[in-house]
Amino acid sequence: MDNEIKIKIDGLSFFYNEHRILNNITAGFPENTITAIVGPSGKGKTTFLMTLNRLWESISQARIEGEVEIRFGDRFHKIYDSSYPLSQLRRLVGMVFQVPNPLPMSIYKNVAFPLKLTGVKDKNMISGKVETALKRAFLWEEVKDRLTDNAFSLSGGQQQRLCIARALILEPEILLLDEPTSSLDASAGAVIEELMLSLKDRCTLLIVSHYLDQVKRIADTSMELSDGKLHEYPNS
Amino acid sequence: MMDRVLEKVVTGFSWICATVLLGTVFSIVGYLLVNGLGTINVTIIFGETDPVDALLFRKQVFDGLFPAMVGTFALVALSVSFAVPIGIAAGIYMAEYCRGGLKRIFSLVFDVLAGIPSIVVGLFGFSVAIFLHNYFYSRIYPCLLISALSLAFLVLPYLIRTTQVSLENLPENIRQTAPALGATKLQNIFYVLIPRSLSGIASGVILSIGRCAEDTAVIMLTGAVTMVGVPKSVFSNYEALPFYIYYISSQYSDKQELLSGYGAAIILLVICGLLFMMAFFIKNRLTYHALYRQ
Amino acid sequence: MKGIDRFAEKFFWVAAVLSLSVTVLIFGFMVILGLPLFKGGQFFEILSKPWLPDRGIFGIYPMIVGTLSIALLGLGFAFPLCLGCSVFISVLGPKRLGRILKKTVQSMTGIPTVVYGFVGIFLLVPVIREVFESGSGMCILSASLLLAILISPTMILFFSDSFDQVPKPFLDAVDALGGNNAQKILYVILPYSWRGVLTGLILALGRAMGDTMIALMVAGNAVALPDSVLDSARTLTAHIALIIASDFESLEFKTLFACGIILYLFTTVIALLVRSIDSKSWRRK
Repeated sequence: MDNEIKIKIDGLSFFYNEHRILNNITAGFPENTITAIVGPSGKGKTTFLMTLNRLWESISQARIEGEVEIRFGDRFHKIYDSSYPLSQLRRLVGMVFQVPNPLPMSIYKNVAFPLKLTGVKDKNMISGKVETALKRAFLWEEVKDRLTDNAFSLSGGQQQRLCIARALILEPEILLLDEPTSSLDASAGAVIEELMLSLKDRCTLLIVSHYLDQVKRIADTSMELSDGKLHEYPNS
Repeated sequence: MMDRVLEKVVTGFSWICATVLLGTVFSIVGYLLVNGLGTINVTIIFGETDPVDALLFRKQVFDGLFPAMVGTFALVALSVSFAVPIGIAAGIYMAEYCRGGLKRIFSLVFDVLAGIPSIVVGLFGFSVAIFLHNYFYSRIYPCLLISALSLAFLVLPYLIRTTQVSLENLPENIRQTAPALGATKLQNIFYVLIPRSLSGIASGVILSIGRCAEDTAVIMLTGAVTMVGVPKSVFSNYEALPFYIYYISSQYSDKQELLSGYGAAIILLVICGLLFMMAFFIKNRLTYHALYRQ
Repeated sequence: MKGIDRFAEKFFWVAAVLSLSVTVLIFGFMVILGLPLFKGGQFFEILSKPWLPDRGIFGIYPMIVGTLSIALLGLGFAFPLCLGCSVFISVLGPKRLGRILKKTVQSMTGIPTVVYGFVGIFLLVPVIREVFESGSGMCILSASLLLAILISPTMILFFSDSFDQVPKPFLDAVDALGGNNAQKILYVILPYSWRGVLTGLILALGRAMGDTMIALMVAGNAVALPDSVLDSARTLTAHIALIIASDFESLEFKTLFACGIILYLFTTVIALLVRSIDSKSWRRK
């Protein structure tokens, strides 16, 4: 069954110091699928992900051309329009980084942090949402008795799942994952892969990966980013 | 939404603070320049005396800033030559030889030394001078030597700390290279570690020079006076720029004298400003020379 | 170890011990010279009495009040100003403006206090006199304002360095979760760097209490206990500078050693406080 397109990219080019990193990319990403982005290192895969949540904008010598539209609700929104609020975009498009980056607080506070940012005060609601998010991230059983422990006391794989839980608590519709398992060992990575498959039903996932066997295991579609352009990558 | 209001308030506040600070410092410097720049000429420094005669110490200058400038220069030269060898040596000791509980004690003591108010150091210098006068050598009074020693105590902790920190910040692999080739600890320090930390040490020295040049509290208790001309020996009274500025601010008798105060303030600012820039410059250049020139 | 190695090590050691001795000696000298004060049990009396030389009362209590009020008020002006500026430099300001501000602040550390005092007398004091229409303008308020400017550059650089040390992954996390800059500062940067901020604050307090020239030139130096910020006041440091001309053997002069001892003890407390903040660093991953 063909899903509706969730993300539409049209003529996207990205420049850093006037070097063209992304070259006139046009693509569409269907809803509730996992798309893997593969390709040679350092050629713009992370940059590509960041064009979808505008995280590149803190870099001073970077600029962008083209259009990115994402369908929230029943219509597409141009996310680079000045009228589209940045914080709202980042609540609907979550990101997980290559090296887990929990904040220097307890496990509970880490996961609840996005709620703090949006001004949610109701303690019962918060603890309910924290539990749900940790369950979705396959972490609840392991941490339910030590929610007040420092997040850095967790193992690498657990920290990454914590970051995923934190990204999930605002119920984003898109999840961007930048090489989510490359800093983890094989068994921790396997847990994350299973987790990503389970998230498909409520999210659209874009994953940067250079583990081709991982891509084969979990991705519905793969695309290769080389020379600034996106090509279909056969996933047999 | 609340967080958008908060964002605006916080951003606005930081802009206001930045503006206030910049405005204040430019007002201060600007006020000095506007009022005093016009007075900077040969007369304000040398008075009625011919500059060449004054520079060769053939004639005294009575109504110019030259004696104060010479006094400040002599003071700085003396105190830095006391402080630098001891400060750097102590810094080397702290970084390379001292360990454990002893190091913590030394560290604490040097932190205290760094925090002692300058007037207290001046009081100490004064008391030492009087003490020596009463019990040892009745010709000792507060003088250039006493001031220089007191100022040396004042800047000692800076020199110790900058030397210590520069040495300690060297990466581990640099520390291990020479010993692996058979060098002794001392050889490692002199041939590798010190050259590598030279920029940090040098900027510490120059900042100490600036500190000695600008201090008023120590020198006003230990021998700085007005109207005695160029210092005759290390045991005599002397004039100094910062003291002159203080003195003029309360004792000026006419507009001309007040203007000379502005002039002195500008000269002192320029000296300290140049020293600061030199510290920065040397920090960059010395690194180049130590590492690449043979 | 070769002879020269042993000699060099001895030399370095002697230099360190010499420096340590000087520190202890300064305190020792003041205690010894101030001994008459202790003997009579007068030391603690002096701390609480006013300064009335005609009646033979040499209390330095007004000077203690003067030092504390000028320093604390100055800190009160400076602290928010420095927080705002350092936030501007490290987080909120445009990069180029932030760099200009930082370079300006670095240059400001070279301005001598006597220059602040000088400009204060001729620029600030008349303004205070006009605006508040009471007194000569030489008062606690003027001194605290100038002191605030004096201690700000070091505090700003200290704070800004602490903020810069917040690991980038934390900042990225807040960005990716849609937090704005104010939230970043309040929820991540400040909580992470509170130790640096506190250390900078305490060091600035020490500097404020130890300054002589600004208080001497601009605070009025009256010996009466101040009632308001517009009153003239005298600090412990200014007192030392003013009384130094009196007879070395007199009781009047000996009180200077009491001032010195108080200032010295205060410095020690500050050094200990700063040390204790540092040593409580948490364990990280």
